Amino acid sequence: MAKIPTAVPLRHVSACHGNGRTATQLLRFFLSLCMALAVSSAAWATGEGGIAVLYPDIGEPYRGIFDEIIEGIEETAGDRIDKHPLVPGSDVGALNESLLREKTKVVIALGRLGMKTALSLKSEMGVVVGGVLTVPENEARGQPVISLSPDPALLFSRMKVLKPATKRVFVVYDPAYSDWIIKFAKEAASAQGLELVEYEAKDLRNAVRHYQEIFSATDSSKDVLWLPQDYSTVEESTVLPLVLQESWNRDIAVFSSNSAHVRRGVLFSLYPDNTGLGKSLAKLAMGYLRSGYYETRGMLPLHDVHSAVNLRTAKHLRLKPSRLQDFDTTFSGQ
Amino acid sequence: MKMVYADTLGLSMKKFIELLSVLLLTSTWSACVVAALQSEEEELALVYGDKSFVTIASGSRQPIARAPSVASVITSEDIAAIGAAELDEVLEIVPGLHVSHSPIGYNPIYTIRGIHTQYNPQVLMLVNGIPITGVFVGDRSQIWAGFPVANIARIEVIRGPGSALYGADAFSGVINIITKTSTDIDGTQFGLRAGSFNRRDGWVQYGGGFGGFNAAAYLQAGHTDGQREIISADAQSTLDFIAGTSASLAPGPVNLGYDAIDGRIDLSRDKWRLRAGYQRRSNAKTGAGVASALDPVGKNFGERINTDLTYQDANFAPDLDFTAQASYFYITEQSDLVLFPPGSLGPFPLNTIPFPEGVIGNPYKWERHLRFNLSAIYTHWQNHKLRFGTGTQDDDLYRAKETNNYSTGSPGPLIDVTPFLLPHNRRVNYIYAQDEWAFTKDWYLTAGVRHDHYSDFGDTTNPRLALVWETAYNLTSKVLYGRAFRPPSFSELYNAPNPVLTGNVNLKPETNESVELAFAWQATSTLQANLNLFRYQMRDILRPDSGAVVQNAGRQHGEGFETELVWDARNDLRLSGNYAYQQSTDEATNQDPGNAPRHHVYARADWRLMPRWTLDTQLNYVAGRKRAQGDTRPDISDYHTIDLTLRNQERSGEWGFSFKVLNLFNADAREPSPYGTPFVPIPNDLPLAPREWRAELRYLL
Repeated sequence: MAKIPTAVPLRHVSACHGNGRTATQLLRFFLSLCMALAVSSAAWATGEGGIAVLYPDIGEPYRGIFDEIIEGIEETAGDRIDKHPLVPGSDVGALNESLLREKTKVVIALGRLGMKTALSLKSEMGVVVGGVLTVPENEARGQPVISLSPDPALLFSRMKVLKPATKRVFVVYDPAYSDWIIKFAKEAASAQGLELVEYEAKDLRNAVRHYQEIFSATDSSKDVLWLPQDYSTVEESTVLPLVLQESWNRDIAVFSSNSAHVRRGVLFSLYPDNTGLGKSLAKLAMGYLRSGYYETRGMLPLHDVHSAVNLRTAKHLRLKPSRLQDFDTTFSGQ
Repeated sequence: MKMVYADTLGLSMKKFIELLSVLLLTSTWSACVVAALQSEEEELALVYGDKSFVTIASGSRQPIARAPSVASVITSEDIAAIGAAELDEVLEIVPGLHVSHSPIGYNPIYTIRGIHTQYNPQVLMLVNGIPITGVFVGDRSQIWAGFPVANIARIEVIRGPGSALYGADAFSGVINIITKTSTDIDGTQFGLRAGSFNRRDGWVQYGGGFGGFNAAAYLQAGHTDGQREIISADAQSTLDFIAGTSASLAPGPVNLGYDAIDGRIDLSRDKWRLRAGYQRRSNAKTGAGVASALDPVGKNFGERINTDLTYQDANFAPDLDFTAQASYFYITEQSDLVLFPPGSLGPFPLNTIPFPEGVIGNPYKWERHLRFNLSAIYTHWQNHKLRFGTGTQDDDLYRAKETNNYSTGSPGPLIDVTPFLLPHNRRVNYIYAQDEWAFTKDWYLTAGVRHDHYSDFGDTTNPRLALVWETAYNLTSKVLYGRAFRPPSFSELYNAPNPVLTGNVNLKPETNESVELAFAWQATSTLQANLNLFRYQMRDILRPDSGAVVQNAGRQHGEGFETELVWDARNDLRLSGNYAYQQSTDEATNQDPGNAPRHHVYARADWRLMPRWTLDTQLNYVAGRKRAQGDTRPDISDYHTIDLTLRNQERSGEWGFSFKVLNLFNADAREPSPYGTPFVPIPNDLPLAPREWRAELRYLL
């Protein structure tokens, strides 16, 4: 498969010539730069293999996320990586041959498409997966998968800083999506002296029922609510408004694993530090390169995170401003 | 195809069909894109949310300021999406703001909520929070010739009075342009643009480390011949009719060419930041003529230089955020004009000899402004956020000169003459304080007051009050009161007696008080709605009397509303728009003061056609512009324009491309020409550009 960094600059160099009639000094400089870039890109593309990165050739805005993850990989693994953008229906056989030619020992598979493609390769290469939320246990078992889901331990500790009186964390989850993270959550809650009160819900109706139970039983002075990344239990158009309305009225602090919820009114969220995630993936891959085996396998929660807080909600909950200082992103609300 | 519609309210069926055709065209393209990666995106959406958060999450992270006012923030992403090249294209999207034009160089008139004047000193423009106002006529320079947007990180527009914080001229609104820092640029970017009217722009900007500093640098060079729409009759046409001459160049094209150079540097380390900016406009043409007589020969040269040194320490002391800032702003305007064309007798009733080279006037002037201010935010008490500051500024019109060939009222040699306005200086000292008080749950009262002392006219005190109620988790309600002032310009104070404008040293500022009611409602996860209602009252309006002597003579009031909607209709489609209505009354005549649109509709659709490709459609509808009192011309025709932008987003190591068509359907759009006595200088208003295209290439290293 042709690599984008080689093909795209060359194509645009010719487009650049098409505009050459201005013939200004600036344009000549610019054209020279185009040529230099094309040459340097081609040189880069022929570098020695070792680690290959498979990632979906996805559009913006999400494309930038993979760019940043790859940037982190490159910062850690240096120039020994080969990048392979993927589209649905990519020729896996040709990719396999390309990876063999590049003497790839380990593949960092990003996104669902990257992971599926990597797991379908016939070669004996190590695979490290990132940029996915959750993976069925049978698929995750064979290699490490760093999820985009923030580690509950980080969420809980952040919550305790904002509201030290927190004693109980309520969560409604669909085991199909969140079973694995709830296991981590139980351990984290126990370690931090919190009680995790979890409700299973496999559909929307049950989720709503559980939220109603929670809101009728919670004590705003010590109880908080966690919204996991879950299609069934945190449905955006019906469940989320209900949760936000009730939590606002009852002064219940709500935190979420979905960063967009912060703007909607959730108190805070943790979201991926994409470059940091790339570095962690690269470290796992380099570990495999060195030893030939995985240091860990299965689903791993995300430790490389940034934080976002809604100051409007924090004010409503009368949280101390001094505890809101070290968030990466703040939303002031409406 | 030329279209002129005279309906005063709402869109006609034909307009809807046009818009619909554009929407259908683009949606068809969109439908052709197979959403094979949709599930991937859905999963990512569970983590990162929608597009706007991804932009924040993967770009620079900075707090979004809380402003108890009616404010719009336009980001660099918005600017890129609409394919804007100039600031004025961007500002037109702000609810309640319409960009009109003066005949002089087609300089922009930012008409906000019905307040429309020729020099437009009632709008305060800031670059990184520092005014770029001149004292000559109180505007942003008579030699404007555009403000490129490549280096703009975001634009904050506050409608309504803001003098309690910003001081002078924050009268009908404040436009704050925030330039890009090293983090915003993060690498090296190149861009080239070509377009209609021989438009050529090239720019380069860098953001990164340099000698231990966070450094941002930007340089842009540009040229345009400008659009060449026809002025059918001008001031000289009437003079010809009176004097029996035939000097007028009308019918003839407007003259809007210019050469531009823009550069900025931003260096920061730890708590210090040093910024400098340079804007040079040369060979800038005269628009429809400085005397409203076409002048293809005249040209202008202007420079604006600004620099500031800022120290900010968020933890200067416990709970104390402290800022100190010193800034310098230099502005010069040098015009070589043919006020009336060769063969004219000029506007001199007793003259019978034609000016063989035209009536020539060459006014030059130089200004420098020094400012120093201290400000602090104190948050020790949980329910109070105190903000206070003090400062001083020196506004100095330190040099003026003029040559002309008409000082005797008949043709003569080009000689040095005493300018109408001689050098003058003004000193301003001010102090302000504001408290945001959370007096009960979900209720916040912001009260502020600022006192300014001017060395020329004296003192002015301006308060503001904002009551904010967080009504529900998805609804915020605000009641706002503010008072603003606009000091008399040096021209209004000191102009030597002349038939156009004579100064008056006994002037005091004109003022504006407004009351607003604002609601922000997140209706659903994909629908945000805002509604603002306002009423304003202007007093002591500065305007010339029948003898052309400036007086505090007028009063004007108005009311209206603005409504905004942003709807994420699909993951790849955002629809947004606003409608603004205002009705103003000049209390001397009890009639509409004229020229400002009563209705302004802006609608926009952003489609993500396929990975990295977006198609943006904009509709701009301007309607209900009455004539000024005494102006018997029919009301100004309504117009609507549709712009299309196809954009391929650049990413590191790759090219980006944009193609934009402005005024796709070639509408005959016109802005009002000023009323004058004894005759209207340009009777058929000021034509805007016809259909226009632009192509842009960008590269990100």
